Amino acid sequence: MDVLEPKQRSLLKALEAGDRRAIGRAITLAETNSTRAGSLFREIQPSTGHGHIIGITGPPGSGKSTLIDELISALRKLSHTVAVIAVDPSSPISGGAILGDRLRMASHNADEGVFIRSLSTRGHLGGLTPSVHNVANILEFAGFNHIILETVGTGQSEIEIADIAQTTVVLCTPGAGDDVQALKAGVLEIADILVVNKEDLHGADKTVQLLKAMLTLRAPGHKKAQVIKTCATTGRGIDELVTLIKHHYTKISRNTDKMLREKSRRLLATKAAALLIQELLDASNSELDTICAAFERGERTLAQCVREVLKLKSH
Amino acid sequence: MGQRTNPESTDLYDQSRTQWEKEYDRDIQSGDTVQNRSGIPIQPLYGPARETAGSYLDTLGFPGQEPYTRGIYPTMHRGKSWSQRQLIGQGTPDEYNERVLKLIDAGTTAISLIPCNSVYRGNDCDDVPQPLLGTCGTVINTAGHMDSALDGVDIGSISTAMNDPSPFTLLSFVLNTADRRGVSWQQISGTSNQSDYLSHYVANHMFFRLSLEGARRILVDHIAFCLEQVPHWNPLSVVGQHMQQAGATPAEAMGFTLSSALQYGRDCLNRGMDPDDFLPRFTFFFDISLSLFEEVAKFRAGRRIWARLTQNELGATTSRARRFKFHGQTSGADLTLQQPLNNIARVSTQAIAGILGGLQSLHTDSYDEVINVPNEHPARIAVATQNILREEAGLCDVIDPLGGSWYVEELTDQMETKILDVMDVVENEGGMFRAVESGLVQRMIGESALNWQSRVDSGKQKIVGVNCYRTPKTDGQETMPPTVRPATEKMNAHVEQLRRFKRERNQTEVNYSLDKLRRAANSKDDNVFSGVVEATASGVTHGEVVSCLREELGFGHPLIVE
Amino acid sequence: MNVVNQTPYRILVTKIGLDGHDRGSRIVAAYLRDAGMEVIYTPPWQALDDVVRLAGDEDVDVIGISSLSTDHLIIPDLMSRLVAAGLLNIRVVVGGIVPNEELSMLLESGVSAILGPGTDRATIVEQVKHYAAAARHDRETEFT
Repeated sequence: MDVLEPKQRSLLKALEAGDRRAIGRAITLAETNSTRAGSLFREIQPSTGHGHIIGITGPPGSGKSTLIDELISALRKLSHTVAVIAVDPSSPISGGAILGDRLRMASHNADEGVFIRSLSTRGHLGGLTPSVHNVANILEFAGFNHIILETVGTGQSEIEIADIAQTTVVLCTPGAGDDVQALKAGVLEIADILVVNKEDLHGADKTVQLLKAMLTLRAPGHKKAQVIKTCATTGRGIDELVTLIKHHYTKISRNTDKMLREKSRRLLATKAAALLIQELLDASNSELDTICAAFERGERTLAQCVREVLKLKSH
Repeated sequence: MGQRTNPESTDLYDQSRTQWEKEYDRDIQSGDTVQNRSGIPIQPLYGPARETAGSYLDTLGFPGQEPYTRGIYPTMHRGKSWSQRQLIGQGTPDEYNERVLKLIDAGTTAISLIPCNSVYRGNDCDDVPQPLLGTCGTVINTAGHMDSALDGVDIGSISTAMNDPSPFTLLSFVLNTADRRGVSWQQISGTSNQSDYLSHYVANHMFFRLSLEGARRILVDHIAFCLEQVPHWNPLSVVGQHMQQAGATPAEAMGFTLSSALQYGRDCLNRGMDPDDFLPRFTFFFDISLSLFEEVAKFRAGRRIWARLTQNELGATTSRARRFKFHGQTSGADLTLQQPLNNIARVSTQAIAGILGGLQSLHTDSYDEVINVPNEHPARIAVATQNILREEAGLCDVIDPLGGSWYVEELTDQMETKILDVMDVVENEGGMFRAVESGLVQRMIGESALNWQSRVDSGKQKIVGVNCYRTPKTDGQETMPPTVRPATEKMNAHVEQLRRFKRERNQTEVNYSLDKLRRAANSKDDNVFSGVVEATASGVTHGEVVSCLREELGFGHPLIVE
Repeated sequence: MNVVNQTPYRILVTKIGLDGHDRGSRIVAAYLRDAGMEVIYTPPWQALDDVVRLAGDEDVDVIGISSLSTDHLIIPDLMSRLVAAGLLNIRVVVGGIVPNEELSMLLESGVSAILGPGTDRATIVEQVKHYAAAARHDRETEFT
């Protein structure tokens, strides 16, 4: 087992004590130096898995940040400590980003029981960052038992959030026909709770009906989802949302071991797949080329070729 | 041009012309003839030959007649010059008083008061870091402070502009002061200069004190109160300045402002008020940029559009209710820190644009405005600028002198189209309130601001001293007078005095008034502004009024659009 | 094609004190984003303690303060609070209007640079990058 460097040991101690500066630095470490800091995160891992990670996603303009602002207040009233990881897409042209989600959560800036961190996807697709699971672990380790993960989610690809969050909440706004259509593609599938925000706008009830109808099209084995209305700017419906979130967590954490194991499997599978893709596409790979040629000449089926590729990697 | 005009339109033209002549003769105070330096007599008005009357009456009209494109009064500046209303404010009430008395001595008949940034933010001075107090405005927190600030000023005859947003505590202090001095509210005249909460929400967040809904309610209460009890006070000034300074183009600034005015008009109609009663008390406040002809056209188009809007959308029937009255301020956004004396030339040009555009009152910026509240010498030059334009340049001699210029007439029409396009976008969003709530207006302004900046960055838009005609680094701030900061001891004493005041006043009365104010805020039918006036009379401070109303009516933060 | 950016600089763009004119700071935020940096952007009127908290939690490299009017007068107070909170390596850059006579007061309090109006885009970006790099370099030694 590798021993922790002294710098990392003192960072670990500070994290355990809930030192905010340490949290800030550790998150940066997770986002920029994940492999080098692997031993640090290994130390943290056993103490995690008991926090509630709540994913909040939806199209831009659906009011996510304002809703989260209200959620934070509601959870704080119940004496929970809350961390928020607000993820925004980076510019595909410059790689930079303006991270402004926390603007709408500013009322909690002075609360010791709240920690908000803004992250950029840095080119990564899927809606999150590659090491966000480490970020969540750091926050849990430092004492935040509820972690809200906020991302932009519109279509097929921004569904990573469901891998990390135990409860996924998807937002949309009334009468926003296009948004609801977009939700159908992929983001809708991952929802545990569907929220029609800005319910004061025209068409809210109709949208709720539409969503409930779409949910009936889910395959029988697929998880069930609830639909509610909220008005984040006035706080209407927030208490109901908190109740639903808590009920959901109670349901799935009936078997904490199972929940933890499923999460680990998903994480390992996703990371393994990412690594595999990267290695296969990297530079020259004559064995892969041979298999490709065989495929192109019709000498083997696609399924056979895929199995051969996997055998390659197991050596 | 060159069309055969029908006899009917030429008859109407003659009638309108005769009407204007009659009104002009009636209103003109001095019958002196005007001659230029070459001995040519200068008429008050120039227009098309009778044979080309055409659509003159529809699109231009005579001064004082609809659609008011050429001017809202028959005599305009030839009859009475625009009023010179310099905005001032710094330090303690006593320091303000010194400055304002000097101005009055120098002949000013209209004054204004700019409160400290801390007042804008809703704080009393005992609650704010000391270095920030009084640097950009006067610290006024009580009726007593207002009395000191206006000591020796005849508030019954001098028009004052209170640069104060909802809930208009400064006007409240003025009314309390009037009571103390035995001056009837009927004699108090002036304007609530920052009553346009929509423009604050969008483009000058420092002035945004309450929630959108709260401000909406209080504004209508304020208008109703003033119509009834302070009839010579203009409770509403719709402000295009903030948006233009935030980057809106001149057409957008006018379009958004007119849309806001329409929104406020509708809110008053919904309260059951009569448009012929409230519209004469609607005034406007605009930025004047260096784009001279564009600004003139903007104002001419604005007058024309407002005349139609008030009639078609708001049901106004009298001409008093359809006149577009406005105050102009030369745009600080055009001024530079580099080679600051150049700003004198800039301000002079902007002032000309406003005057030729037909404004009713004018503030000219001082050349050191970029750094701080104007020092005395630069402030004097700003005032002299207006005097020179009036007395030496003959800008008052002719009404709408650019009227008839092929360029200006076509540009007026084009600006009108652009302005109406902006108003359509707002209307489609559900009106200005909705458009501002949803962030649409902010996004449009943000885009225009970025466009301008990239044109400056690329050098396409030249700015003398900044991206062209530069001088070595040592020039610039050296020509600026030294920065004047308020005297620390005076301000500290002022803060101490407020603390003492709070300790020594009748706390029972204060609590009673605050409760009453709270109840008024929570009832649908009470007039909240009336509650404010009563509260400040019994010693409630500005900060206390604002906190109370924030609690009851909400304290929203302006939507930030990235 | 997505630009994969491993370690962009993180810049807090904020306004303190009482003034609310944020046209300039929005434009600078856009400049920095277009130059590949991550900008945490706040509205005006941030309390000094909130700025300190934000800078630490978001682990920024540079705090960019947009100051018009007289808000720069409380920057020395901010600098001492940063030191008291142990945030010794974050650099502070001020943009806006500061009278000549007050420049040295700011620099002595620990401000790294004051960028006046008319500073062009390229210089703003280059200066911020320069100080961000310096902050990064210094921060490597924290938590020893």
